[in-house]
Amino acid sequence: MNIDKKQDNECLTVKVEGRLDTNTSPELEAEMTLDGVKEVVFDFSMLEYISSAGLRVLMTVHKSMAASGGAMKILHPNAMVRGVFEITGLDSVFAVEA
Amino acid sequence: MKKGQIVAAAAVLYVVLMGVAWTIGTRQAAQKTEAMLDYAVSDMRVSLDGVIDTMLEHLASIAVRHFKKADAHSLEEVAAVAEAFDIDEISVVDREGRVIATNDPDSLGVDMLVKDETRPFADLTNGVTQVVSQPFRRHAYGNSRRKYLGVPFPGGDGYVQIGLDESRMDRMISAQLAFLFDAQVGDTLCYLCAVEKTGKLVSKQLEDDMPQTLAELGFDVSAFPDSGAFLLGEAEEGTAKTFVQWLAGRRVFCRSFLFGGHRFIIIEPADEFYGSRNMIAAAMAVLLALVLGGFAFFLVRISGDSERIKAFYRAADAARAKEMEIAKTIQSSALPAPLEASSYFRLSASMSPAREIGGDFYDFFMLDSTHLAFMVADVSGKGVSAALYMMTAKTLIKDALLAFRDPAEAFSRANAELCRSNTANMFLTAWGGVLDLETGLVTFVNAGHNPPVKTEGDKDKGRVSKYVTKKSGPVMAFMDGVEYKSRTLSLNPGDTLFLYTDGVTEALDHKGELFGEERLMDAIKAVPEPDPKMACNVVRMAVAAFAEGVPQADDLTVLAVEYLARPLRFVRSFPPTQEGIASASEYLDECFRDDPDAAREDARELGSRLSPLAPALHVILDEICSNIVKHSGASGFEVDVELIAEPAGVKLTFADDGEPYDPLSHKDPDTTLPAEERPIGGLGIMMVRKMSESMSYERVHDRNYLTVVKR
Repeated sequence: MNIDKKQDNECLTVKVEGRLDTNTSPELEAEMTLDGVKEVVFDFSMLEYISSAGLRVLMTVHKSMAASGGAMKILHPNAMVRGVFEITGLDSVFAVEA
Repeated sequence: MKKGQIVAAAAVLYVVLMGVAWTIGTRQAAQKTEAMLDYAVSDMRVSLDGVIDTMLEHLASIAVRHFKKADAHSLEEVAAVAEAFDIDEISVVDREGRVIATNDPDSLGVDMLVKDETRPFADLTNGVTQVVSQPFRRHAYGNSRRKYLGVPFPGGDGYVQIGLDESRMDRMISAQLAFLFDAQVGDTLCYLCAVEKTGKLVSKQLEDDMPQTLAELGFDVSAFPDSGAFLLGEAEEGTAKTFVQWLAGRRVFCRSFLFGGHRFIIIEPADEFYGSRNMIAAAMAVLLALVLGGFAFFLVRISGDSERIKAFYRAADAARAKEMEIAKTIQSSALPAPLEASSYFRLSASMSPAREIGGDFYDFFMLDSTHLAFMVADVSGKGVSAALYMMTAKTLIKDALLAFRDPAEAFSRANAELCRSNTANMFLTAWGGVLDLETGLVTFVNAGHNPPVKTEGDKDKGRVSKYVTKKSGPVMAFMDGVEYKSRTLSLNPGDTLFLYTDGVTEALDHKGELFGEERLMDAIKAVPEPDPKMACNVVRMAVAAFAEGVPQADDLTVLAVEYLARPLRFVRSFPPTQEGIASASEYLDECFRDDPDAAREDARELGSRLSPLAPALHVILDEICSNIVKHSGASGFEVDVELIAEPAGVKLTFADDGEPYDPLSHKDPDTTLPAEERPIGGLGIMMVRKMSESMSYERVHDRNYLTVVKR
């Protein structure tokens, strides 16, 4: 997995490449320092798949953003990842853009 | 026999017997009547003769005393005596037979020795004969009929002969003979009357108010044998024919005879004779009715009993048939249900018992995901005993195979157990094998059974069928302590093994010929495709065609198993760590790689075909493995990736030795809750469930087996 972070003022864009599973999620979680961030954008255009470990990171981020009045957005997930969101009902929680 | 038939038969018998009895009774009564009438007629004649003779003899004796000896007397003197005696003729005859005195002028001087009819009177002159009597006969000089009687003078010195005309009988009958008739009048046995030629009754002094003629008495004269001709004086003597009359409402038998110019009629009431017949007939009627009725009743009861007995047996048969139907159902349910369709083998089997239930059986089951056990067996005998023993044998052998896996070990153990429980001296032959789906190797044991036929399904060389080795161990349940030996044979994908019982090879045709191994081989070779079901059907149809019209003598079992393909499986163990999960994930990738470094050469094509499933499989693997690593406390876990060509898919099996944990028993988390209220975690198993086609969990030998199929 590759994580590509870009911080633009209060907007943090995280591009995740490869697989987000139980092996890689801790790495992503560690990268997610959200001090002063008002908006988190995940670019999943290069994400192969996501398991519940990855979902857990996303949910953690979503919760803390919601608590601080910020926002979280997911861009370009593939069909597989979108399917996981749908299965878990998170498609109605997360702001997902194709 | 039906109730109606019995009653009808009894009625017919009754009528016939009564008819016979009636006929015999009637004949006897008729004979008795005739005899009685004969007797009455002769008796009456004798009586009449006797009475008249006595009277005439008395008169003649008086005349003898009057004339003292045979002297000539004047016509007037003799006529005066005749007048006094009220008879018609008196003659005095001397010793020479000459009439020397008479009241009949024509007779005087007649020589009595000249004429035949008068000559018998000459006996009176012999000094011994005391009376000579003659019946009525036509008088020599007139139309009247006259009876003569002579009595001698003392010493036979001439005699007195007197003659009596028929015409004087009227008076005599009513005056002197009436007692004869009176004696009979009112007698129930016999009734007699005398009738003068005019038809007038003369047997009694008739009062004016009494019947005066036969007709008035009630006789139908025209029914007399001589139609009443005697009334004209023309009837013959001795008409001895019985005739029937109705008198005062009674049926009577009559017999008439002529005597002294009179008709005498003897009357016998019919019921005197037929009464006994009627009584006997009535008694017989009652008796026969009782006997035949009783007998018929008895028969009806008996036939009723036999109907009841038949009904009982019908009911018993029906109950037995029902029991057997239930037994058949139980036995059928003991035979294994078809296995889930497999990509690696196809199996078909059938058992047709000769009776409702049989002693043959087949069995097949998976020892594990890669080992198929299958067998056929034949318990000695047929019917209930064989079926019961078959159930025992099947259970024991299956248990032993599941426990020991090795057929030789399993058969040996099962045999020991069968010997222990074999009180009925049954035995069975069996052929059982375990097919390793990974290798196609069949490890088998033959316990005295017919050798199977192996058909090699090589497309290039063409299909070749041959019998598997006939080498065999002893039959089972026969000898304790037998150690069976396993043999092996190898199946390549496309090969078929055909198992059967002797119901196939020993089926008989109408000539008594056996179906035999050669015909079986021909039938198997005639199977157009390597299809177990088709093979079973073809053989069964061949046997049926061969044995057409001959009842199936033995249970018939066939089982065919076709080895389709080696499973494309990748199995590896991993340590229960994060690194272990990472390795498992990498290993999963290997299964789908289509390059020379791929895990298995033969999986390359299928692996690359199934690779689109890989991301989902990764998610599944990630969820389950992380579950095992985090929660189970296992010392390691095993991942089994099986690539399935048809229907295309992947089967993942995760095995671990951790705490028992059935993920399927947990509820999915509520995904409708707002994000804030959701627990983080608990989503994994739900995702696996929703992303897979099927999931199953098994805990075997202290290990968790979780199988997930993704298509």
